[in-house]
Amino acid sequence: MSYTTAELMISLMAKEIKDGYRVLQGLYSPMPMLACLLAKNLHAPNMVYFNTSDAVDPSPSEVPFSTAGPKLQENCIAYMPLVEVFDLAQRGELDLIFLGAAQVDMYGNTNLSVIGDFRKPKVRLPGGAASAYLCAFMNTVIWVPRHNAKVFVEKVGFITGQGYINGWDTRERLDIPFGGPQKVITNLCIMDFEPKTKRMRLVSLHPGVSLDDVINNTGFELIIPEEIPQSPEPSQEELDFIRSIDPNNVRELEFK
Amino acid sequence: MEKRLYSLEDAIAKFVSDGDVVAIGGIGRNRCPMEAVREIIRQGKKDLHIVGREKGMDFDMLIGAGCVRKVSFALVSLEEFGLAPNFRKFAQEGKIEIDEHACGSIINSIRASAMGIPSIPVRGLIGSDVFRYNENIKEFVCPFTGEKMVLVKAVNPDVAIIHAHRADEYGNIQIFGSYWEDILMAKGAKKVIVTVEEIIEHEEIRKNPFNTAIPYFYVSAVVHAPRGAYPTSCDSYYNYDDEHIKEYAKLAKTEEGFNEYLKKYVFK
Repeated sequence: MSYTTAELMISLMAKEIKDGYRVLQGLYSPMPMLACLLAKNLHAPNMVYFNTSDAVDPSPSEVPFSTAGPKLQENCIAYMPLVEVFDLAQRGELDLIFLGAAQVDMYGNTNLSVIGDFRKPKVRLPGGAASAYLCAFMNTVIWVPRHNAKVFVEKVGFITGQGYINGWDTRERLDIPFGGPQKVITNLCIMDFEPKTKRMRLVSLHPGVSLDDVINNTGFELIIPEEIPQSPEPSQEELDFIRSIDPNNVRELEFK
Repeated sequence: MEKRLYSLEDAIAKFVSDGDVVAIGGIGRNRCPMEAVREIIRQGKKDLHIVGREKGMDFDMLIGAGCVRKVSFALVSLEEFGLAPNFRKFAQEGKIEIDEHACGSIINSIRASAMGIPSIPVRGLIGSDVFRYNENIKEFVCPFTGEKMVLVKAVNPDVAIIHAHRADEYGNIQIFGSYWEDILMAKGAKKVIVTVEEIIEHEEIRKNPFNTAIPYFYVSAVVHAPRGAYPTSCDSYYNYDDEHIKEYAKLAKTEEGFNEYLKKYVFK
């Protein structure tokens, strides 16, 4: 079966969405957008899909390039401004959001703010959007289209999105016991967090990827389990759906 | 009801002052009040403190044109067209004051303004360096439950600038699509400028009151500005122009290029 890395990642991200979940998709999130639509249309019909177009459960004929674009309101059930989706999140009634990162460290902390000093940075990055807010109390999945040692660093210089901070029970000690990153899905593999130390751990390798590929492209020591399965490939049904709803290849945006 | 129909030039001249806190509607490349942004640049406004949740070209242009003293934001980006070049350059050179938020805190700082309260408790942010570096977000313990949260200070915009679909000449505003923070901004600001695609008869407003997103008494000036969100989108009226945004992203990388862009599209 032939598929692109984007198609594989979308299928794997969709698998994180269980039926009945309430999921929010953010701005500049092409793969999360497709993962949400895929889940809703195939294995999770009872999921509630919110997005940055303020639309509840849209069913667009094709996906737009801007993930807050008008096309992403098509056939929606209601408009719900983000402030109200956040209210839902604060009530503990939002299950998942996918978040991106310029840097991720071994405890799943993400940086989307600055490289260098905050007041006079070497590189000013765009900012983390909802990260600092939702990462304190929600389950998140981090997606990284380019798995390399510049992205996966031992310690981020600036925590935009809270992972497990310094690992172990740091979150409990800071009174933010709920939520945190559940998975990290990259172009090479899937990772999660070892429950006790909260250190990042390899879960599975994508087809054709070797353990060395992952180790050499990660700037810290990953926990490697004894048995490493292969990440599941997308089904034909999934690929057909993704391709039918994305005739303009929006899914490949982050790989250009 | 008083008529509030202004030319864009008069509305910006009268209601936007140097040093103002200016909330700007829309998000990303969708329904941003771009014609108003271009007019602010043409009038050479200075020392503005601009406020918005997830912003793009609008913020980047105002910063590059030297109109901005301070930026309150959760994200400023040109999305797939790259980092916002002026925002990046001015921040790196320490030429703008950075008030970095998360979406949940900036929305609530606007919401608190609309609610008429000085600050608002919000969950989240604890453990993030965004919280550590933001002096407008403080730790807060609920006196009733003992839960640890944060308090976000109201941003209290002097003026909100929004692009909408239709209005009558009294400033009753109809929006057909996502609101984002536009309504909270209008309700939280002292002065409100709304540019619209179409001016309609007052009777049309009375016939469909469910379509009124912002009633007249919030609005200082309504301006007829067809395609006023261009090159960002305006729901069913027109889509974003990615070719234009790509051209901007390319030109704005250098000062000469940015000036060329301004000459071609702003000071034309």
